[in-house]
Amino acid sequence: MDTMKGQQWLIGIFSTLLIVILMILAGVEMKKTRHDKPEIEIDKTTAQCINCHERKGIAVKQTGAWKESEHAVMGIGCNECHQAEEGEFDAQKCPESDFLIARHPTPKDCEECHAQEVKEFAESKHAHQFWLLKNADRAIFENPISTRHGCEQCHQIANIWPDGSVGECDACHAKHSFSKAVARQPETCGECHVGPDHPHLEIYIESKHGNIFAAQGHNWDMGYATTNNEEIPNEVPVCTTCHMDGNETQPMTHNVSDRLAWESQMTWSFRTVWNEEESGDWQVKRGRMQAICKSCHAPDFVETYLLTADLVNLQYNEIRREIVRWTKKMTASGIIDRLEADGKFYSSPVLNGWDEEPEHDMYNAWHHEGRRFRHGAEMMGADFTQWHGIWEVQDDLNSIIKYAAEHGDKEAQKWVDSNHPSKFATYSLYDIPGSAWGISVKVNTTPFVYNNYPDYWDRIYANVEAAYQRGLLSKPQWEHWLERYENKDHYLGLKYKADSTFNYFKERNDIDFEKMDEQVIQFKLPGKPFYEK
Amino acid sequence: MRVKDWLKERFPIDYAKFIEINENIFIKEPIPNHLKKWYYCTGATPLILFAIQVVTGILLTFYFIPSPEMAYESVRHITEEVTLGFWIRGVHRWGSNLMIITLLLHIVRVFFTGAYRKPREINWMVGVVLFFLTLALSFTGYSLTYNQLSYWATTVGTNMINEVPVIGHWLLVFLRGGEEVTANTLTRFFTIHVGFLPPLIVLVMAVHIIILRIHGVSEPEGYEKGHYPFYPLHFYKIIIVFLFVLCLLSTLTILLPPGLGEAANPAVTPSHIKPEWYFFPTYRFLKLVPLNVGIGGTALFIIGMMFWPFIEPFLSRDISKRTKISFIVASLVIILTLGFSIWETVVL
Repeated sequence: MDTMKGQQWLIGIFSTLLIVILMILAGVEMKKTRHDKPEIEIDKTTAQCINCHERKGIAVKQTGAWKESEHAVMGIGCNECHQAEEGEFDAQKCPESDFLIARHPTPKDCEECHAQEVKEFAESKHAHQFWLLKNADRAIFENPISTRHGCEQCHQIANIWPDGSVGECDACHAKHSFSKAVARQPETCGECHVGPDHPHLEIYIESKHGNIFAAQGHNWDMGYATTNNEEIPNEVPVCTTCHMDGNETQPMTHNVSDRLAWESQMTWSFRTVWNEEESGDWQVKRGRMQAICKSCHAPDFVETYLLTADLVNLQYNEIRREIVRWTKKMTASGIIDRLEADGKFYSSPVLNGWDEEPEHDMYNAWHHEGRRFRHGAEMMGADFTQWHGIWEVQDDLNSIIKYAAEHGDKEAQKWVDSNHPSKFATYSLYDIPGSAWGISVKVNTTPFVYNNYPDYWDRIYANVEAAYQRGLLSKPQWEHWLERYENKDHYLGLKYKADSTFNYFKERNDIDFEKMDEQVIQFKLPGKPFYEK
Repeated sequence: MRVKDWLKERFPIDYAKFIEINENIFIKEPIPNHLKKWYYCTGATPLILFAIQVVTGILLTFYFIPSPEMAYESVRHITEEVTLGFWIRGVHRWGSNLMIITLLLHIVRVFFTGAYRKPREINWMVGVVLFFLTLALSFTGYSLTYNQLSYWATTVGTNMINEVPVIGHWLLVFLRGGEEVTANTLTRFFTIHVGFLPPLIVLVMAVHIIILRIHGVSEPEGYEKGHYPFYPLHFYKIIIVFLFVLCLLSTLTILLPPGLGEAANPAVTPSHIKPEWYFFPTYRFLKLVPLNVGIGGTALFIIGMMFWPFIEPFLSRDISKRTKISFIVASLVIILTLGFSIWETVVL
């Protein structure tokens, strides 16, 4: 072959190869640019686990979940979390290989990479053992098998493991995807924070926050990282936004107690002292929460809203004080009895009891209705503060007094016999002039206590001041309250009339009542009823 | 007054001379007969692609914002919201890919026809410079999309500069505008990509073409001697190539549009960092050998390629033996290039 032919052949072959191969490579690489998901590298051990699990059809979806995880992207395979040493409590020989695997990776395992998160969690009330410390009395009412998939399932989040670590990371970070987006979903918190005792998910759904999230949240990136003091990327918060995630001023934390100022789940609302040495006092914690609120809300709104919620908590205490006074009195007089075995009491006149109505009412007025009353006020769940809250708590108190009257208590009988409208306020009151929402004309002209007690606001002043002096309210809160007190005609809307607007609706209302009377109330059917004495 | 006369008054030059020069340089430029073959048009194709890149590039700068906060978002805006933005971006991206492929084809053709030999050594070197300038243009352009892949490719790519002896660190800090890849890097790369490299390429390309014209296109053996004028045959040939390239770019953009990827996150290092495919041979080579050997080897390759017209005569006095050695070396280089590229593509 001459040089010219050789040249042509080489140019032809190499040009064809270059075009074909490089165009294919460029196409393959271009296609990869459309993958949002990063590629994962599966190490040999992990590949062996996955292949066997898939072949035998064992927990196959879990291997799929792992492939979707950040762990997979970062090259954290099965062994990194599931490796075990001989003699460990959860060490198990894999039946298909010579691997010794840990059945239950614990926070001790997670800690190897996520030390800060595990530490923060262990310092939070999520890790607290209160349910064990106060379980003996309640455990008499609920049999053990029922609590396995009841109490224990949720309180597993504070599990104490044989290796000494505490907590259950996958309670929120569903294994094996460990997705931040799943952990952030309000329904994840709602796996436990739901139902009659602490309907936090329902309160959130009722709130404006939850409403906007329901309408628009499906478009949001819930898997965002919340480090480096960055802005909250979404329009409204979910549970974690306020209780855990960071914003411009706050670092993110796995200590859910770090921003809570009350122990409002307790029998009494008191200012938290939890982990004070590390986290600071309740005012520091409230400061953190306010810093989150102020990412979206004006300072005055935040302060008024939270102060009002604080006064609801304090009001709860006063109702509780009255309830406990009656149960103690009835216990002392023998109307109700404590549960007892071998010299040990299993019920308490200040906490709970199960076999007599007042004890049950007292328990519900704290553990169910009392929490709904307080937590609704803290998280914008108006219906939970009102109908599922104070309405029920007040009803509990009334039932307790009526029970005492039925069983011969003279003071209770006097209350039952009373016709005075103020009989339901057998306790001291807290209040704040107006609300965070705006100025409301006419609303504050209706309450009985406003109209019949000229010293109403003097009494309230004294109570709020006492709470402040007791350390239950902060100085800025007291000053904020005073500012409203001193301008209460404005905040209560009393100095504004708007009569023409009000009278328009009053006239419409009169027509409604007239028509209701005409259409229904004055209506009598001709056919006789079937049951006659 | 006719427009021609009006212009003549304002630009009183010798039009007869102007037309003559124009005819000599462009219209009647003698094109050797072998250029009637399509595969000898590989020199003009990168030029056409460069022109397309300039036009689409200018259109992209209408919307692109070179800041870490806005770069990815503005690329997304171009791709998803701007009218025909996806097409402009796709053509620009694929244009860069095709430019490199056609340059490689051009280099292969020039090399195997021995067109780099005396007296055209300097033009070979100018061509090699153009090839590396094009790679630099692609590298800086890729970094501007500011997604996770491009951010980390930029980080790793610029890290390599650190290994250059003596001036490496200084060069790294100069390019990045600091120790890390930051907002400074993005604005520098943008300026280099838009304001520095394209005019430089135009200049070097002008030198390349002037030298070519001075010497005339080298004529491979085995073709009927003789020439034909640039216009109309070759002119229309270039127009056809332009239309073909535009169709090809459009087709590729429709079938395989460039994606957006994941937004750059300097806090999260992906487990797999890869440059664009045209750096795969170097990247694979660097993975196979210690870093300093890799950098040294790459530098030697560039020097060898650049000065091959002067190195070759030392290999043998016998011209046919010399040709044989050159063919073997070039064949090995191409096979290795393709082999390393495939290897890097198929492994994770």
